[in-house]
Amino acid sequence: MSTKVVVITGGGGVGKTTLSAALAVGAARRNLQTCVVTVDPAKRLADALGVETLGNHPTAVANQPGLWAAMLDVSASWEAMVHRHAAPEVAERLLADPFFRTLADRFPAAQSYAAGEQMAEHIESRRWDLLVVDTPPAGGGIDFYAAPGRMREFIGGRLLRWLTGASIPGRRAIYKVTARPALKLADTVLGGPLLEEVADFLMDLRSLHDGISHRAAAIELHLRRATPIVVTTAYPTPMREARRFFEDLPEKAGKSDTVVFNKQLPATWTDSAALRGAEIEAPIRTALRDNLTRWAAEVRRQHDIKQQFAARHELHMIEVPWAESAPTSVDALAGLLASAPELEEHLPA
Amino acid sequence: MLERKLIFVSGKGGVGKSAVAASLAIVAARRGLRVLAIGMVDGLGLAEHFATEKLAYAPRGVRPGIDALAVYREEALDEYLRLQLHVPRAAPTKVLTRALNVLAETAPGIREIVTIGKPIYELWKGGYDLVLVDAPPLGQLFSYLRAPSAIADLVPAGPIQKQANHMRDSIADATTTSLVLVTTPEELPVLETMETLDRLDVEPVVGLETLVVNRLLEPLEVPKNVLATLPAGPHSAAAHHHLATHSQQQRWLDALPPSPQLPYLFGLHTAGEVAEQLGDVWDEII
Repeated sequence: MSTKVVVITGGGGVGKTTLSAALAVGAARRNLQTCVVTVDPAKRLADALGVETLGNHPTAVANQPGLWAAMLDVSASWEAMVHRHAAPEVAERLLADPFFRTLADRFPAAQSYAAGEQMAEHIESRRWDLLVVDTPPAGGGIDFYAAPGRMREFIGGRLLRWLTGASIPGRRAIYKVTARPALKLADTVLGGPLLEEVADFLMDLRSLHDGISHRAAAIELHLRRATPIVVTTAYPTPMREARRFFEDLPEKAGKSDTVVFNKQLPATWTDSAALRGAEIEAPIRTALRDNLTRWAAEVRRQHDIKQQFAARHELHMIEVPWAESAPTSVDALAGLLASAPELEEHLPA
Repeated sequence: MLERKLIFVSGKGGVGKSAVAASLAIVAARRGLRVLAIGMVDGLGLAEHFATEKLAYAPRGVRPGIDALAVYREEALDEYLRLQLHVPRAAPTKVLTRALNVLAETAPGIREIVTIGKPIYELWKGGYDLVLVDAPPLGQLFSYLRAPSAIADLVPAGPIQKQANHMRDSIADATTTSLVLVTTPEELPVLETMETLDRLDVEPVVGLETLVVNRLLEPLEVPKNVLATLPAGPHSAAAHHHLATHSQQQRWLDALPPSPQLPYLFGLHTAGEVAEQLGDVWDEII
């Protein structure tokens, strides 16, 4: 079974997780075997889908035949990755290393890279017609695409090579001679043999190089083939993040000529329709008029910045209307998708 | 609030943290303070709200009374080595910087201490009445604020440890330094803000100045029974939208302690206008 992949990206709080779930429900209802993979906050998706808990392994969604859901468990993926790419004794040492834990928590590409490895596994399991991937919000979703390259660069990059020598050293290998004076100086400044300790760890890390760079290339290929859907709202922060996607990612992502604006107000609020209903009291009439004036101004602002954005990046715009409450059932998710029919056209036939 | 020397402004991403930081800088400058605004992550938000181009590492005047800069890690690392750790100019700092760059990706707290070092360094230099920081969003805030103590625990006694302890004390000194937490009255930002408040109780790394509730809607004086009888159309739809959003907002507002409130600003086209208007609101609050 060849799997189509849709990657939903965008900044935090724009409704990526909900739209991912809605698309997945729509696909399942077209008889596609579908899996939606989410990152965070998984609880909302689990609630909406009526699933108790989500984990790395897909769970069947009870109320929707053909739909499975999974969550990215970063630390589990990270450990699996180490076991896959490292010799057993190196894996053990790495997983016990406090610096390695920090790397997993802090290196911005690490979590996104782990998410990418998991995506690749879902694709390669060949279980699905469609995989819907809800990306981590870091860097407006852009980190997810950049992560394989950054990870490869970090582990195989000039700095590590310079510290550890050109060939992959064995256990407790010594540093390249040219690096030694700098390390000595660094240790004087740091006040102890800190860099020496870290360097042992960096050597172990380097032994992952071949495995990771091979895998990273596979993930990059999957990402280029996937259909990206960029989601934003008409507020500055998420739009800045969406802009990064279109400006910084030309060759790493599949081509996208569409931007999805979520939580949009009706364009009809800009018209200055007369307020009918003669029996309405004057103060209430004034309040209603003033209220519409304010919201109409907001609709105009949002309209203008959306148009500007779409024009600058030559994008087609899909608008998903604002909904009073977050969907809490499979049917409500299907309803959300039905409110933006163009979005549904992004599903593979 | 404007009596502090160093104020960190944080909040969940997208709640308007940069707008609030910029507006506080504006109101402080209107009262005659010399203000340095620092974008700790990339400075893009601050630049938009000051209606200026990309910020540099060196301070630049952006408005009367306000200089602004953005922290970039490589320059911050260089400054940290030279000025804070007094690495002699003759030392091969290029080589050292490269080694530390590797370390910064891996060792706990190095990147964070170098970044948070910049506002603290500016505080110590004392060239401004107020250093106002557009800080990282809540998810990363503690890893920055705690970096100095993390580093002090990690390294043996030496210049770095001494410096880190000094930084930790400056952040914790509530007479000079405080934190402003911005939220919008919505589910996820409020929940994350409440988690942060709990964490500050357990780990008082910095004094809390205040919470700020941003984008709050005013009540709409249209009774529900009247709304029900309105003919369908934009008036009724906009009123329904306002009332529904307002009542959701009130629910989340009730979960928070009483805090200064900033209004939802309708229809403002530029970030510069937003910061300016919020500055007017602060003028009345403070």
